Amino acid sequence: MGSEPTTLLQGTLDLLILKSLVAAEMHGLGISRRIQLITGGTFVVKPGSLFPALHRMEEEGWISSYWGDSENNRRAKFYRLTKPGRKQLEAETKRWGRISLAIAQALQAS
Amino acid sequence: MPLFTKARSFLRNIFSPHRGEADLDREVQSYLRLLTDENIRAGMPPTEAQCAARIELGGTEQVKEQVREQQIGNWLRSVLSDFRFGFRQLRKNPGFTAVAVLTLALGIAVNATMFSLVSAFMLRHPPGRNPKRVAVVTSINPGNGFLPDANPVSIPNFLAWREANQVFADTAAADQYRSVNFTPVSQSTAGQPQAIRSAAVSPNYFSVLGVSPELGRTFNDEEIQPGRNRVVILSHELWERQFASDASLIGRAIRLNRENYTVIGVMPSRFHLTGFTPQLWTPLEVTAANQTANARKDRSLLLFARLKPGVTIEQARAEFSALARRAEQDFPEIEKGWGAAVRTFPDFLLYNFGIRNGLAVVMTTVAFVLLIACANVAGLLLARAAGRRKELAIRLALGAGGLRIIRQLLTENLLIAFLGGALGLLLAYWGIAFVRANMNFNEAMSAVPLSLDSNVLLFALAASTLCALLCGLAPALNASRTDVNNNLKEEGRSSSSSHSHSRLRTTMVTCQIAVALFLLVGTGLLFRGIFMIEHQNLGFRADHLLTANVVLDDARYKDASQQSLFVRSLIPQLAQLPGVEAASATSDLPAAGPGTVTFRVQGQPEVPANQQLSASDNVVTTDFFRTAGIPLLRGRAFTEQDTPLAPRVIVVNQEFVNRHFHDQNPLGKQIQLNVSGTASQWSEIVGVVGNVKTYSEGIIDDPQVYEPFLQRPISSFSLMLRTGSDPSALASPLRTAVAQLDAELPLANVMSMSALIDRQKGGNPFFVRLLASFAFLALILAGIGVYGLIAYSVGQRTHEIAIRMALGAKRPDVLRMILRDGMKMTAIGAAVGLALALPLPRVFDAIFYGLHLREPRLYFLVPMTILVVALLATYIPARRASRVDPMSALHQD
Repeated sequence: MGSEPTTLLQGTLDLLILKSLVAAEMHGLGISRRIQLITGGTFVVKPGSLFPALHRMEEEGWISSYWGDSENNRRAKFYRLTKPGRKQLEAETKRWGRISLAIAQALQAS
Repeated sequence: MPLFTKARSFLRNIFSPHRGEADLDREVQSYLRLLTDENIRAGMPPTEAQCAARIELGGTEQVKEQVREQQIGNWLRSVLSDFRFGFRQLRKNPGFTAVAVLTLALGIAVNATMFSLVSAFMLRHPPGRNPKRVAVVTSINPGNGFLPDANPVSIPNFLAWREANQVFADTAAADQYRSVNFTPVSQSTAGQPQAIRSAAVSPNYFSVLGVSPELGRTFNDEEIQPGRNRVVILSHELWERQFASDASLIGRAIRLNRENYTVIGVMPSRFHLTGFTPQLWTPLEVTAANQTANARKDRSLLLFARLKPGVTIEQARAEFSALARRAEQDFPEIEKGWGAAVRTFPDFLLYNFGIRNGLAVVMTTVAFVLLIACANVAGLLLARAAGRRKELAIRLALGAGGLRIIRQLLTENLLIAFLGGALGLLLAYWGIAFVRANMNFNEAMSAVPLSLDSNVLLFALAASTLCALLCGLAPALNASRTDVNNNLKEEGRSSSSSHSHSRLRTTMVTCQIAVALFLLVGTGLLFRGIFMIEHQNLGFRADHLLTANVVLDDARYKDASQQSLFVRSLIPQLAQLPGVEAASATSDLPAAGPGTVTFRVQGQPEVPANQQLSASDNVVTTDFFRTAGIPLLRGRAFTEQDTPLAPRVIVVNQEFVNRHFHDQNPLGKQIQLNVSGTASQWSEIVGVVGNVKTYSEGIIDDPQVYEPFLQRPISSFSLMLRTGSDPSALASPLRTAVAQLDAELPLANVMSMSALIDRQKGGNPFFVRLLASFAFLALILAGIGVYGLIAYSVGQRTHEIAIRMALGAKRPDVLRMILRDGMKMTAIGAAVGLALALPLPRVFDAIFYGLHLREPRLYFLVPMTILVVALLATYIPARRASRVDPMSALHQD
């Protein structure tokens, strides 16, 4: 089943987008498909959530964009990680680790 | 740097959104194409691939809007776009915009104009350092009178309380109501003596208030001693006007009260106290004579004191109540019943000017006018909202949030309100100029700086915003609850969903009518009261009389015999001037508020000091009654034989006889008068004259006593000259005649009796006319409200009317139907307004003491006027309704 990342997990979507851009620079559809891939199909990011997130992160300065050609020679807007973006990815990854550990602990307690 | 990137994005989003828009559009389109390609690769046929792609995208506009919504600076961009949209809407409906803006402009203009008064009186800071920490101490007069607890304090009390109190760091005193004779001495000008308002102050007066002189210095402690006190500080206005701002004046002498006074300082121009207008200050001399027990009766000082740090005004109040009680115990005959009041400086100035109630009435009236204006505009907005139902339904269907729609509608209303406010400020500018030009009843009023200042601007801004909220709230709330489905359907002339609209509007118009009626009845009563007071018989002939005030100063007229001599020499001279029919002098002009005296009637039992009978008391020369045109009813008036050596005589008025002698013959009865400063003497009543009103504004007749001048000379009196022609023509001969006797003696207030009475009326006629114009404005606005509502409902009901006519109704029937609806609404409003206006006469009884205003005609006239106005307002659209051509109306949709 695909579940939509909600606004509550906005930070999670940011994390996924940043992570998916580590490997390569991609256009919007590509990012969506990559997230779908690396989460094993759990998260299917619709454009209604993806585009706002991409533009917001670009305004924050974590990613930057440029117009290029896709695989089929279509004009598309590509995104790449910036240096602050990499730092943000590191910080968010650490934070996510701490959170999931804490929740796991809480669920194990009687 | 995230902040830098964000700032850059913000500016780019606001100022060049088009590039971003184009880019976003291209990006979304490219996404669609890539998705379509993906679907084709997966095996879908091209059209189906595109369809599936679109479905997965979920709507191009929605996606773009979602991106826009969380862009930095989006709030500002959407607000700006709301404003642009609002402007377009207003331009498309110029008629509506003009009416709405003009209505609000009128309401805001009258409010801003009147608020300038509030700003000038209540929001001005008094001069000096930290005026809220300055306290003003006054006495509380146990008798009635104007502002009984702002009475001055006696010198002995000042000295005692200054030493005894624990709450003030420094206490100063000022005698604010003095007058000096000023003789300009210069080569060029004629040098006519003038009487100038002055104040005598203790040396620490200026330092207590915290004001420094602009030039020179203030008084030092030595200068209150006799011999050292011929020094004076000038006001800025006097220095400019009389001495051409000559800075070398410091150290030079000017001539006051026949003596040379050295100018030691000039006060800055901003040193104005509301209601007090001394042109110069002299030191307050305190001698042994001022400290006797008798001197306690002479109350002339206002005390200004700076509170010690940490002391509150309530503590000061309590302390001085105790001090006043101690004075009562120590000097019971004089101080019985007298208390002490303590106020902060700003409060005192406001209280002393006595305008607070008047301001409250005025501001309430204009607030009502504004409410009526807002109701009109709200009605207009509701009508327009009903016409935009489809547009709003479409926007809701396209995904606009309810909040967003409310915000956009409020923006439109804010535009209308601010346009109305701006136009209103322009009108207010002229309005304030008009009020200022007409508000020159006396010196104190003319000195008030009335202008369109920052307070008025802020007030207009606040009023506009309030209007926007008031007018726009109802339609906005209605709009957000629009039933999308029903409104998008083809509905023809269904008026079902406008039911709540029309009920709301009907209620508003009914309220408008009620308020307009209330205001009209109120001003009608005020008008009637003022009219009755202005046109009552004062008891003397005020026409063709020239008056002037004379104060014989101590320098040359210390003795009673000197005063007598002056008057005995002057009056015959005046009587011989060409054009003069009669001349006399009197301690107080008729109907100008005389002094009072207590007395005993021989043969009646003695009463304790504070329950003695009192009457008003005038000292007059022999020809007074003839000059003033007061009829002599019995006995005789005064003659040259009533000298100090002859038996003492008095004349009383008819009211005196009515109260104290009933049916007996008063002639020959003996009265003992207690005049402060002289021994009580028994006088015989030799004549009875007609009643003269104590004040030109008064209504009740008081008992009056007249004494002959020769038997009790006074130093301060008024001259009266009766002439057959224009009184002002006698002004110059009068001055010359007085100058011949004494070149340095000034004449003050040389004016005709009618001009003086006009001046005494003060601002009342002007204010009442102002209020009346506001009430009429309210009526006109309410009439427009009625017209608007009926016209609109007629427009809505054209279909229904057409059907009725097709079914057989005639034109008069339709006319009657519409008229009936309109008049029903008006009648309810009028009834409510009348009910509200019923308690008004009792309220006015307190203002017009003794007048007992009962005007049943008003309660008939005003509702009739309103019904006529409403009838007219209803008739015009009703006639249009009756002209409806049933066929074309039914075919129209």
